[in-house]
Amino acid sequence: MSARAFIISRLRELEWSTLVLVLLLSASGLLAIYSIEAQHESSAGYFVRQSAWVILGVGLFFMAYLIPRKIIHNLTYVGYGLGIALLLIPIAFQGGGSVSRWISIGSFGIQPSEFMKVFLLLALAKYFADHKRRLSTIKELMTPVAMTLGPTIMVLLQPDLGTALVYFGILIVVIFWAGISPLYFFLLLAPVISMLAAFQTLSFFIWMGLIIVVLYFSNLPFWTKVLNFSINVILGGVTNLLWALLKPYQQQRILSLIDSESDPLGAGYQVSQSLTAFGSGGAFGKGLGEGTQTHLKFLPEQHTDFIMTVIGEEFGFVGVILVLALFYLLIARLITQAYSSKYRFNSVILIGIAAVLIFHVFVNLGMIAGIMPVTGIPLPYISYGGSFMVTSMIMAGLSANMSSVRRAVR
Amino acid sequence: MLQGKNIVESWRSLLVHGILALIFLTLIGRYYYLMIVFHEKYAEKATANHIRAVPVLASRGVIYDRNGKLIVDNAPSYTISVIPIEIRDQVESLQRLSEVMEVSVDEINRRIVKNRRGSFAPAKVFSRVPFEKISHLQEHRLELIGVTYSIEPIRNYVSNLDLSHALGYTREINRDDLKRFQKDSDYQPGDQVGWKGIEKYYESDLHGQRGFRYIEVNALGQEIGELEERAPVNPIPGYDLILSIDSYIQEATEKALADSSGSVVLLNHKTGEILAYASRPGYDLEMLSGRISSKDWQALIQDRRKPLYDRGIQGLYPAGSTLKPLAALYSLENHSNARERTYLCRGSYRLGNRSFGCWKKGGHGKVNLHDAVQQSCNVYFYNLIQDIGLEDWAVLAREFGLGELSGIDIPGENKGLVPDTKFMNRKYGQNKWTKGNLLNIVVGQGDVLVTPLQLAQFASMLAERGIQYQPHFVNKVVSKNGEVIHENISPPEDHNMASPESWDFIHQAMWDVVNGQKGTAKAARQIGWDIYGKTGTAQNPHGEDHAWFIGFSLDERYPYAWAVLLENGGGGGGKAAPLIGKILRSIARRNA
Repeated sequence: MSARAFIISRLRELEWSTLVLVLLLSASGLLAIYSIEAQHESSAGYFVRQSAWVILGVGLFFMAYLIPRKIIHNLTYVGYGLGIALLLIPIAFQGGGSVSRWISIGSFGIQPSEFMKVFLLLALAKYFADHKRRLSTIKELMTPVAMTLGPTIMVLLQPDLGTALVYFGILIVVIFWAGISPLYFFLLLAPVISMLAAFQTLSFFIWMGLIIVVLYFSNLPFWTKVLNFSINVILGGVTNLLWALLKPYQQQRILSLIDSESDPLGAGYQVSQSLTAFGSGGAFGKGLGEGTQTHLKFLPEQHTDFIMTVIGEEFGFVGVILVLALFYLLIARLITQAYSSKYRFNSVILIGIAAVLIFHVFVNLGMIAGIMPVTGIPLPYISYGGSFMVTSMIMAGLSANMSSVRRAVR
Repeated sequence: MLQGKNIVESWRSLLVHGILALIFLTLIGRYYYLMIVFHEKYAEKATANHIRAVPVLASRGVIYDRNGKLIVDNAPSYTISVIPIEIRDQVESLQRLSEVMEVSVDEINRRIVKNRRGSFAPAKVFSRVPFEKISHLQEHRLELIGVTYSIEPIRNYVSNLDLSHALGYTREINRDDLKRFQKDSDYQPGDQVGWKGIEKYYESDLHGQRGFRYIEVNALGQEIGELEERAPVNPIPGYDLILSIDSYIQEATEKALADSSGSVVLLNHKTGEILAYASRPGYDLEMLSGRISSKDWQALIQDRRKPLYDRGIQGLYPAGSTLKPLAALYSLENHSNARERTYLCRGSYRLGNRSFGCWKKGGHGKVNLHDAVQQSCNVYFYNLIQDIGLEDWAVLAREFGLGELSGIDIPGENKGLVPDTKFMNRKYGQNKWTKGNLLNIVVGQGDVLVTPLQLAQFASMLAERGIQYQPHFVNKVVSKNGEVIHENISPPEDHNMASPESWDFIHQAMWDVVNGQKGTAKAARQIGWDIYGKTGTAQNPHGEDHAWFIGFSLDERYPYAWAVLLENGGGGGGKAAPLIGKILRSIARRNA
């Protein structure tokens, strides 16, 4: 089959709905950016640049869609290595003691940590597809955990807590999807919950009680049970130490969720202004270009992480619901496609993409609504920013590629 | 590539779908709660967020003299402030500001810390900046990030009259006053408030009411523009004051006083209006309004001549012989033989083993009441007081307003002291004080203490035959459109102290003080109009005696009464009588 014929046949097979949903989301983001730019000289050019990113993104969508899956499968580890190399560049060339999140090429910056999301989930997918693991021993979990830990540590150096959490989110969802037994999954997640529970004495004891009950009814060897329980107790115990190791602004971000008034011009200030923007938007919003919170610069970073506040303030609850509906349709379809996929590789990639999107949407929209810590995570397709727009578009193209398997059966 | 059926159990898919649905329901619920349930609360918050009411200062009322001559008005003063959050990282900005203002960066930083009211509020660093500096800053405004300037009205002293003690000055309101005023008014930190004198007494009239304009601001508090939906509230300017002071007479008075320490209070005895008020030395009002350097302030309060001390209403001096008409009036009213009664003056009076002198060492010989007043014979009054008694004397003194507050319309007045039996018993012990004390009192020494204002009022009541008018500085409080808000008209208060004959006698004696052969105040004489007066000596243990001269004119054209006190001006009227003579001649020249 000639390349031309292949492309034409693939384009015929394309389920356009993914692209349409993604373009609708991008359009709402452009609308919000347009509204910001119309009022602020300092934001001049954002709309044009973001439009360019969307167009480039659509190109990359088709590229990711058209590359034969076999090639993707074969090049996965190469891609992973490339991603790690890109992450190393800012570490290698760090200046003034701090690691940048950016690689600058002239006036142009890219964030390798965004692309790493794709490379990581591809690598995990390949690992679980190639080795049909039952995931019943610690050893079998070592490789995927190590794969994730590497880039996680690198982004934590930047320090970018949000992205590190995304990487781990991908890992957890993929492991779950790959068929880990519920007990093992529980035991795997338990240490994380132990650390969180350690912040409060009562919750810690309740959680420890729960672990004891689960372990008691499991058929694990006695000493495994003891070891497992000990790990949880110790991890919970050293949580305070770990907390002390966090950067003050990271602590503040988490704390400001508890009391958003405590730091009126820090993270708490942003959240309190964001709530005001949403709340004052009401059911139908103030209309395009009419948001006072938006246009009087009450919100820093409003074109990136806080972009949804513009939509909320100017288009109201209705606007928010519409965006949520688009996201829901997009993600729910990915899960369904992941479930119905006949190929393990495809299925894991699809669920991994769904995991990235869920994580980003929930953390971002939860953060600006004051129910999640401020972690600096952008909203896919809507937030201003090239690297993540491109990454998200590639993920959408990949998902279309992976889900069109049924009709592509030769 | 491995292929398998049922790659994923259906429960895993359902669980992930379930979690997705849960997450979206949580988000929808949260946004519903924020945007629908609590919409109004946040809508209000958003409005308050971006609208600021910016106070617009009301211009302080201006002050005119009685003839409408401008004495005090307001002039723009430039203040340079910096916005702490904006200048924080602008080292060059500070450097440039320091160069232009010729003040070190450290000093500027110190002032920022001192006047800081938050990160976004401008902190004053320079006030009363000359206009050239402002235009210089304007040219370099791009290099001066975070530096702003504003115009504030300050008091401008148009006339060159030295009315410092009467006018008083304004100052930035302090915390206590702010608390005190805030109950019924709209004072804010940084407001100018009357601190002394008329500025303080008439503060509520002069202050006016601030207005507001409503502006839209961004998160940094930077102005975006005027808010169109809300009309500004215009400030109500303060009321103007029309003083009773006559600039011409005031100037003549100041010229006559020249550099002497002392006080002249000259008022209209028919109305109580103060026409001239001098308390020397005074101070520079320009220097005291607004910011004064601590060096200048130290110099002022350590000045041995006490320029901050308002001698006219606060200075307490022995009244000396100026009080003799008081005892004379009592005698005329109560002793049937008052006019004929004579005493022999040999230059001193013996009481027990103590001797009380007359000012004339050789003695006045045989003197009657008229001569005793005219020539100020102490011995006559030493004898007379023993026929009066302290209590009756004190009652009459109080009727003349001595030992009492006059109620003048500037704050800080001193009451003085008219000793009575109760006071003497308290001070010296029951019956421990002697006739000797009494003798001192009748000639205005010892425990008697008066202010120049009180003696001016005494002179005024002598002129008006016991009718009292409350002295005052302000005739009218008027609004900007000329409406009279308040008018100070002192109602006459007739004390019915004495019969017309007695008053005639006193007037004659006081006329003779100035015009008689043996009068003590011939230097006060005027051509073409009659002056009445009485000299006095306030004994001064620290140096040369203070000179008093009180008096009045009954001429219809010049219904004036006065008290002059010259510190270290000498005994027996000394330089005080010539001084008023000079002033009165100036007044007459204007009318000629």
